[in-house]
Amino acid sequence: MKCRKCKATAEVALPSHNTAFCRDCFSTYFTGQVEKAIRRHGLINPGERVLVALSGGKDSLSLMLELSRLGYDVTGLHVDLGIPKSSGAARTKVEGFCELHGLNLRVVELEKEGLPIPDIKRYINRPVCSACGKIKRHWFNRVALEDGFQVLATGHNLDDEVARLFANTLRWDAGYLSDQGPCLNAESGFARKIKPLYRLSEFETGCYAFLNGIEIHTAPCPYSGGASFTGHKRLWADLEHQSPGSKIAFYDGFLKRGRPAFAHVEQETGAPLAPCEKCGSPTSTGLCGVCRLAIAVAERRAADPDRQ
Amino acid sequence: MITVFVEPDNQTLTFERHNTVLMLQKRLGLRVNDALIIRGNELLTPDSRLNDGDEIRVRKVMSTG
Repeated sequence: MKCRKCKATAEVALPSHNTAFCRDCFSTYFTGQVEKAIRRHGLINPGERVLVALSGGKDSLSLMLELSRLGYDVTGLHVDLGIPKSSGAARTKVEGFCELHGLNLRVVELEKEGLPIPDIKRYINRPVCSACGKIKRHWFNRVALEDGFQVLATGHNLDDEVARLFANTLRWDAGYLSDQGPCLNAESGFARKIKPLYRLSEFETGCYAFLNGIEIHTAPCPYSGGASFTGHKRLWADLEHQSPGSKIAFYDGFLKRGRPAFAHVEQETGAPLAPCEKCGSPTSTGLCGVCRLAIAVAERRAADPDRQ
Repeated sequence: MITVFVEPDNQTLTFERHNTVLMLQKRLGLRVNDALIIRGNELLTPDSRLNDGDEIRVRKVMSTG
């Protein structure tokens, strides 16, 4: 198979685009897709500081490297979840990556914040992935605002976005469908959230990470078995295999024609937001959800005879 | 003999013979873009030929949370 651009031996076949690239031309293509996303949706303005959420996986580390190469002022943020045999390995990859490339990194340790995920799993009666996601989003936003970042970037890729859009569509969730997209503007105590990799598939970010020698954390989270998004991704992988280009067509079509319609009919009905009495994060309930979680965990841990 | 390491499953498989990457992918139940197929420091496309003695790393790309 030959590279479509330079006719050298191809290393990356992309049926979705009916093409293949050598490593140099793939790098050019990858950068072009990120630049197109940033330009088309006004994701980052000149001079803005960008906080990049780093899990240690292929997507977040690829995003960090690409944004730094494009000249953006980026700092990584890793949330150490405190899960034995898992979080330490992920953190090591993130720290090694940032040191290798001379990139700034902040680390939030949930153990120090009184909210290690194993305690959430043990003491809180709700799906651990839901609580974990809430806690991570809380810290991403909190660090962004407290440290003066205008933009919070995450490594969500096309597969993530299509799976999420599919789930929202199955429920006809007008609230989520009205604002899902690569850019969620800053408002009411929230930093602007952006997803510059939304045009690129998991396969493409995996290729980018490999071709750039990025050491990634590949072990799945020990608590995440059976997440519904994984099932949706498999369905979409089948569809994409049978009909290449389906994912980007579905997502781009939604951004152009679906979201505006939902945004038009969806009225803001939520309670007004105010700073959390404890941490200052936006909330409609006095204490924000994460501070309430921290209090509940502390109470149940104190009452647990195994932890005395 | 071809040796195949599958990530993140940490499986090691051996096959007597596979002519191409596409045949290996089919044997493993993978679609073209389900996994990176790695030989040394290069990525292989589905039409790439596999040779006796090759050590192939199959890195699945679907994140599971």
